[in-house]
Amino acid sequence: MELFRYSRSIYGGDGTLIGASWDLFGWFVAAAAAFIVVHAALKAFSGNSNLDSH
Amino acid sequence: MPVSELKKSDASVPDNGRVVRHRLIDRIYHWVMAAAVFALMGTAFMPIFGIKFEWLTIHWVAGVVLAFCVLIHIVRAVIWQDRMSMVIDRTDFANGAKIVKRSFGQKVPSPIKAGKYNGLQKLYHLGVAFFMLAIIGTGLAMLSKIDTPFWKRNPYWLGDSDWGTIYTIHGFGAMFMVSMVMIHVYFALRPDEWHLTRSMFRGWMSGKEYKAHHDPARWPASDSK
Repeated sequence: MELFRYSRSIYGGDGTLIGASWDLFGWFVAAAAAFIVVHAALKAFSGNSNLDSH
Repeated sequence: MPVSELKKSDASVPDNGRVVRHRLIDRIYHWVMAAAVFALMGTAFMPIFGIKFEWLTIHWVAGVVLAFCVLIHIVRAVIWQDRMSMVIDRTDFANGAKIVKRSFGQKVPSPIKAGKYNGLQKLYHLGVAFFMLAIIGTGLAMLSKIDTPFWKRNPYWLGDSDWGTIYTIHGFGAMFMVSMVMIHVYFALRPDEWHLTRSMFRGWMSGKEYKAHHDPARWPASDSK
């Protein structure tokens, strides 16, 4: 998985940095979804009593 | 009339009284910012994932609207609002430790009730503020690369590697904001948070909700701004 996007060099070498890799988009969505699932589960099991909220 | 404007004792707010939480200008800011953020995310990511349309004009206009909103918010927060209500304090740290210990079954006193915002809300605001300012700063720099009715583009203002860094910061910030918006909407939809969500529509919470969720010593109802 790439973290960054690079331009393609016509000379075959490494290109210039052009931005973040959009392959990471799914990971950011998954991280938020994981947080939501874990928080919802903890809230459900703890009876809503001792978890702070955002 | 809201209780906060009657200057009644904070502890004696009647259950059916009203405590102002978000004034009209702050609610307008919130919803305009929300519309701008959704427009920005849609116009940024839909083309990347294959939904092609003329996205650039909508994107930069929404970005300028967002930057203007954030500027007003910063000025208002610094000059007219209680800045400390959004600063993480010792009580928030102590509450966090108690929450973690209670989650692992330890018997410790209950966390102290929140001020206007609780510890995680403050942490969320800090993270969003950091990345939002990074996105806005890099976005404003990118405006120099496009023609608008107000200026002509100058793509040679910075070198390729500098633009690469700017696009990278903008891209990571944008993806981070997707995560943050998902989490924000999740909390807004949770039934135990509806008193907060409602207050972002109508501006106030009931005295009963205020006393149930907030410590008058940390957020006096008469101090609502």
